[in-house]
Amino acid sequence: MIREEVYKFFADYIYKNTGMVYASSDYYRLDSRINELVKFFSLSSPDELYSLYKKEITLDMRAILINISTNNETYFFRDVKPFTTLAKKIMPEIMTLNPNEEIKMWSAASSTGQEAYSMLMCLKNSLEDSAFSKMSVEGSDVSTKALDKAKAGIYSGLEVQRGLPAQLLVKFFQQLEPEKWQIDLSIQKKAKFYEFNLLTGLFPSDKFHVIFCRNILIYQDKENKIKILNNLSKSLRKGGVLILGSGESLVGLETNLQSCMYDDFTTYKKI
Amino acid sequence: MNILIVDDSKAIYAMVSKMLEEGGHTALWAEDGLRAIEIIKSNKSKIDVILLDWNMPNMNGPEFLEYNIKEKITSSPIVMMTTENSPDAIKKALSLNAAEYIMKPFTSDILFNKLSLIEMML
Repeated sequence: MIREEVYKFFADYIYKNTGMVYASSDYYRLDSRINELVKFFSLSSPDELYSLYKKEITLDMRAILINISTNNETYFFRDVKPFTTLAKKIMPEIMTLNPNEEIKMWSAASSTGQEAYSMLMCLKNSLEDSAFSKMSVEGSDVSTKALDKAKAGIYSGLEVQRGLPAQLLVKFFQQLEPEKWQIDLSIQKKAKFYEFNLLTGLFPSDKFHVIFCRNILIYQDKENKIKILNNLSKSLRKGGVLILGSGESLVGLETNLQSCMYDDFTTYKKI
Repeated sequence: MNILIVDDSKAIYAMVSKMLEEGGHTALWAEDGLRAIEIIKSNKSKIDVILLDWNMPNMNGPEFLEYNIKEKITSSPIVMMTTENSPDAIKKALSLNAAEYIMKPFTSDILFNKLSLIEMML
């Protein structure tokens, strides 16, 4: 039995340190985490754990509590390959085909912005300044809460460690507070975020050179998959490239996109 | 992988070794830089990656990195794992040849993500 006071103490501490919310109606979700901590410190009850943490929270105790109480979140550079392929193979080809043009990219399910910012960071790292100045990314999502975070470009110490190599962290982020890191303005000003629903939104025509739409189709039925893919295709410019999630493909789906390999990485091109 | 955890906190060693073992790795422990040198030099088991705390008695993390630059006792990737989380600290560790940097607190997925970044470099 865990007392309300104990729940509240840990919920408040986790919120303060990670931003993760455990509302009082959801306190039961803390049960396994509190019990894991009791076991970890070889204590006999949640009350003993509460007394231990109430007395003093050392940096190590904090680390252990946060480790046990957080779940996975979105990654920077998730799967790596889409970003290295974008920077090394796709973008040089697109720039050759579209000289002097502004290059428009879309992170079609941007969540809290890590994908859009990763696209820009890898391009900033690999292109000349004059070429990078022509790049922009639009990020869209259905969650306004996620979009607010993406727009702010501020991430916790845990979030900036997910997928982001330390070299890029110190190159492209400023530390605002010990646990708050903000994406550099040179990257942030190249990204624009807005609300958009891939099932009901009005897709623009022939707008984007590159679209990332990863790990969305996997949750859709066949009819919706085809609807989204045809709309994404409509929004691609001729020769534009669509990048799907690593577990997604067009197999068995009728679209006007053609698969196109860059080394061993599969993309889909509007011909 | 065989991973040497260099950290004066037994609680951190217990937590990290549990994570590593659940991920199929083997963990060794040194409580400071000097003990790490002894373990590496004894060469009893091959060490693939070193997880290195910053603040420790006897020989701290940066001192260990400096010692390794001079004496070249190991070519295994060294990942800082510390509560020192300022950009200056990260830059200093990278300039002393740390391959990656983990800021405490961290979660097991961050640890494995950093290890996979290291494996890509190996």
